[in-house]
Amino acid sequence: MLSLLKRYRRPLIVGALLLYPLLAFLLSGRKGRDPNPIDRAVIAVSSPVQQALTAGIEGSVSAVRHYLDLRGVRQENDALRLENLQLRATVQALGESRTENERLRKLLGYAEAAPGPEIPARVVGVNPVAKLLSVRISGGEKDGVFRGMSVVTPDGIVGQVIRATGGYSDVALVTDPQSRVAVRVQRSRARGTAAGAGSGPLKLENMLRTEDVEDGDLIITSGTDGIYPPGLVVGRVTNLEKKQHGMFQGADIVPAVDTSKLEEVLVVGSPYSAMAQGNAAEGAAK
Amino acid sequence: MKFLVTVGIALALLTLESVVVKQAGLVLGRIDVTVVLVAFLALRATLLEGAFSAFAVGYLLDLMSGQPTGLFTFLAVFTFLVGRLVSSFVDVRGALSFALFAMGADVGHGLLSAFFTWLTVKDGGTGQALAGLPLQVALTGAAAVVLFPLFRRFEAAQDRPAGLLR
Repeated sequence: MLSLLKRYRRPLIVGALLLYPLLAFLLSGRKGRDPNPIDRAVIAVSSPVQQALTAGIEGSVSAVRHYLDLRGVRQENDALRLENLQLRATVQALGESRTENERLRKLLGYAEAAPGPEIPARVVGVNPVAKLLSVRISGGEKDGVFRGMSVVTPDGIVGQVIRATGGYSDVALVTDPQSRVAVRVQRSRARGTAAGAGSGPLKLENMLRTEDVEDGDLIITSGTDGIYPPGLVVGRVTNLEKKQHGMFQGADIVPAVDTSKLEEVLVVGSPYSAMAQGNAAEGAAK
Repeated sequence: MKFLVTVGIALALLTLESVVVKQAGLVLGRIDVTVVLVAFLALRATLLEGAFSAFAVGYLLDLMSGQPTGLFTFLAVFTFLVGRLVSSFVDVRGALSFALFAMGADVGHGLLSAFFTWLTVKDGGTGQALAGLPLQVALTGAAAVVLFPLFRRFEAAQDRPAGLLR
């Protein structure tokens, strides 16, 4: 027996190297596994290099852009001053509405929703495998980022944390084909699902044919998936298809955030609820 | 190439690629730098050294994907073994022939990756991944032309014979 093992040592080792990952893949499927100490060590080594490279390249690019942008800056400045005035007036008006809203909510006895932390992070790199559209950000467990938390920008939602290690996290983008987000139409409050489709727009799914949706409608998160807080912008409806038959109507959603040009993001949501929702988040990503 | 050097090169290439992809804004078109490395291993490395190195390279790619499933580790070792088999029938010497060899490996790697992904995620954008394959293979071929002399240099540096004064 030993002599046989010795004789076939090489094929056996190569066979094990081939079959072990295949079995791991077939058993775990696309869920993946939680990071082990070796994973964490490799990420801890590679991520700072990613971050430094990204900072170097972005610094050079922005230096050139700043120089070019100096032209015509006076006109732009004047226009921005005007816009600023208008926005301040709008903010003031919204402040009044907010105060009124809070007063009315108190009257109606609504519980105040805890907003949870907003953790700023920088995008340091993009996943080199096209199978899963994800990015790596410079915020991890030590910053309070955990798996399942949602990632946004002021323009709208970006994705969901799928893995967090010491100082870095991986974020699956909303455009990833495995991504599903519970959404509603802001105007009519009709509910549906925004599904990732790789590159290009998201797909509006599970929207009943009788619901009121129009081209150009703003789509926001409904919050019913337990991952994204309600009211965040997802995108705008385009290419609406009102079918003659069937239960649902279809449409594209042009994402509010261009995920191919991300730089800074905010990680939102309660870390404790995100940890508790680990499985739920995973389910939603499916 | 020695195991640790291979791992170091793979880590450096993947890190560099992730930054380049971010800057270029490529959504589905990627450069399979790890396939180029595995193709080189298939041509030059011994069976055990190459298999271990391919395993490590695949593991790194799996890890960088955000959801390590083992698929890319398996595909790297499989590509190495098939490449080793093919290399006994073809003569690969120059950068151009190496690029063609790496492109062939990338086609196989891409098709198998799409197939296994489709097995687990039926509506997981397999069609889009396949549509992006020609661009990916072309980019990988271009990367192979650039990387071939670099790999040769690393290999030559390690295989330097020990002389009397060393």
